Amino acid sequence: MISRGSTKHWQRVAGAVAALALFAGACSDDDDDAAEDTAVESDDTTAATTGDTTSDTGDTTSNTGDTEGTTADTVEVTQGGSTLDAVKAAGTLKCGVNDTLPGFGAVDAAGEFVGFDIDFCRVIAAAVLGDSEAVEYTPLTADTRFTALQSGEVDVLIRNTTWTATRDGSEGLTFLKVTFFDGQGMMVPASSGLTTLEDLADANICVTSGTTTELNLATVFASRGIPYNPVVYTTDTELREAYESGQCEGWTTDASGLAAWKNTIEAEGGEEQLVMQEIISKEPLGPSVRDGDSQWAHVVDWATMSTIQAWEYGIDSTNVDGFTTDDIGIQNFLGQADWDPGLGLDADAFANVISQVGNYQEIYERHVTPLGLPLEGSVNDLWSNGGLMYVPPFR
Amino acid sequence: MSTIESELRPIPRVPLWRNVRVLRIVAQIVAVGIVGSIVYRLFDNLTTNLEDVGISTDFGVLRRPANFAVRDDPGFDIQSPVVPNLMWIGVKNTLMSAFVGIAIAVILGTLIGIGRLSTNWLVQKICTVYVETLRNIPPLVIIIFFGFAVFTYGPFPIFNPRNPPWQVKVPGTDDNLLILSNERWGFPSAMKDGNVGIFWILMLVAAIAASVMWWWRTQVNVRTGASHHRVALSTATLLGLGLFAFLALGLPYRMSWPAVSDSGRTILGGFGTNSGYLSITIALGLYHASHVAEIVRGSIMAVARGQSEAANALALSGFQRYRFVVLPQAAKIASPPVISQFLSLTKNTSLATVVAYPEIASLTASTIANGMPAVQMLVLLMALYLTISLTWSLILNLVSRRFKEVGR
Repeated sequence: MISRGSTKHWQRVAGAVAALALFAGACSDDDDDAAEDTAVESDDTTAATTGDTTSDTGDTTSNTGDTEGTTADTVEVTQGGSTLDAVKAAGTLKCGVNDTLPGFGAVDAAGEFVGFDIDFCRVIAAAVLGDSEAVEYTPLTADTRFTALQSGEVDVLIRNTTWTATRDGSEGLTFLKVTFFDGQGMMVPASSGLTTLEDLADANICVTSGTTTELNLATVFASRGIPYNPVVYTTDTELREAYESGQCEGWTTDASGLAAWKNTIEAEGGEEQLVMQEIISKEPLGPSVRDGDSQWAHVVDWATMSTIQAWEYGIDSTNVDGFTTDDIGIQNFLGQADWDPGLGLDADAFANVISQVGNYQEIYERHVTPLGLPLEGSVNDLWSNGGLMYVPPFR
Repeated sequence: MSTIESELRPIPRVPLWRNVRVLRIVAQIVAVGIVGSIVYRLFDNLTTNLEDVGISTDFGVLRRPANFAVRDDPGFDIQSPVVPNLMWIGVKNTLMSAFVGIAIAVILGTLIGIGRLSTNWLVQKICTVYVETLRNIPPLVIIIFFGFAVFTYGPFPIFNPRNPPWQVKVPGTDDNLLILSNERWGFPSAMKDGNVGIFWILMLVAAIAASVMWWWRTQVNVRTGASHHRVALSTATLLGLGLFAFLALGLPYRMSWPAVSDSGRTILGGFGTNSGYLSITIALGLYHASHVAEIVRGSIMAVARGQSEAANALALSGFQRYRFVVLPQAAKIASPPVISQFLSLTKNTSLATVVAYPEIASLTASTIANGMPAVQMLVLLMALYLTISLTWSLILNLVSRRFKEVGR
């Protein structure tokens, strides 16, 4: 009995060891291959410099083979190579959005997604598919958004996401045109009498997990030497319960988000809220796409920027149909002339964007102005009015 | 000799492809090969794809700082490396919740399990309702209930400079026995104040003395048949010597009472914690108590009826029947499934993210979302949970073996 049991045990151990050995063997094989490749390459280089014609030819051939192999791999990874073709074939755009932030991405009483970010999903759908309603929205939390984009669950991520060096560098994604220049603020109940960050020493501060605001909060408070206690929730809805019940004295996120929540809380009969004057960070928010597909990045970028160009041209959803002008630039922009920038879009793509969704000013005033953040004179105003909204020429 | 050899027919050699032993080994090698190549293929696919989209697959990045702070860990340096500092806080918080939750589950579960077999109608029904309610609600719902219904919107006051929390005083003094609010709670704790090292060395001596007492009383019992009283005498030795050491060293530990800080926002002294910790710990303790109760009830019922009848025939009292006959046998049956509950409770602490309690899984999620590579962090998280779970399994195996040795 005992001996048999132990034999089985030993067999299992041997099996596991064999599996590990195989694993190790497989890995080290790979390493060896790589090493050999390098060795061969360097040999060839030497041969090439010595002017050996035969090996030179061989070198070229093998190199071409290598390049082809790499291209094939890349194509496989990006699922058919072109997100643009995939979106056109599917007939819908998969857009990763927020579903809990009023004004930017939220679900209204009718069950529809509405908001500033949602409108930019519609802008891209209008440009690519000619139909601003052909969007499949995927609500994402701050923690899951990048993984969803990396894994191909969504084609574009427009979820009040801040462009940072780390995100560009290590999340495998590319940030595009900034659609909203924001900064991080702090909200407290108006009755608390707190007005500066220093007043919040030792306080509980509510923040959402996986956001730049969580990081800014830590670095700004640590740099200023203000002790505090972060209470980190994954969604704004849970965070709001904790904040309104007084578990947290402060709520920090982008100023636009705070304005949205201040509005919502006050409109729903909650306590009056105060957003502190001080802005502690830069939060440029915009769409992002997966790395490695520059065609799709260009499409998303130029579709987004077309709303700002239309605003500059004075074109909006009310006058775009039958817009007549002698300006050849505008005629090109609206697809009235035979102009193709080669982005892979139809000639009337930008006209569709403006007629179906509107220009930047209309989108902004539809969703953000009601939160108490006027466009005029803000950093999000057009460059010619002293703001930061400036786009390269459409030509 | 030679005649016998010639009479024996030579045994025909079994060809290799029909040799059972060879076939078994070949089959195992093939199986390992298939599994190994699938795993390798998946792993290779993952690393290749990650590298193609520019995501690092190197573990060196784990030395980068996390750059965010942790709830109720004011001393944490945000610039210290993620591994081990941040993960250590996560493991500490996970285990702190798991151990207290397990204590609640075992004590409450045992009482309720015995209560379900009570002959008292009311006690039996209350215990049945408890088990049937909690066992049939997902633990996440119970956690949310405690987090939001009990603590956030419950009867507890807000704690900030304008609203002091409830402070339950030690009678006759100004010390707080307890601080309650809807966020921070303070409990008394022991604080070292003197020669703690020497005190614990003396406690070790006391423990050795208690063991010698145990051994001696067992010997006396075996030799003469006199009552051994080894539990009482060993405990008395340990506590007596311990108290002597404690007094002789001039009280190396003293009570630390929780107090509200000058800023009116934090708790100084004592053991201060938050509603997230209390929610997850109490909720999981109560949930798993319902499972432990069923295990205890089933184990008691699994003890052969003849054992109770024999105990009755020996005129043992109800308590003696349980203490000396039924429970020791039931404990043997109950311990493996109860230890599985410990394991399950430990893993369920990962639901704490919903009440903002920074245990290991939610800290990992935060670090990933803040730019740490997901694959490496998840491998690390899996390794940590595996270590904790395998430790519980090891304890389970040791307990099972011990019971097997002692025999039925």
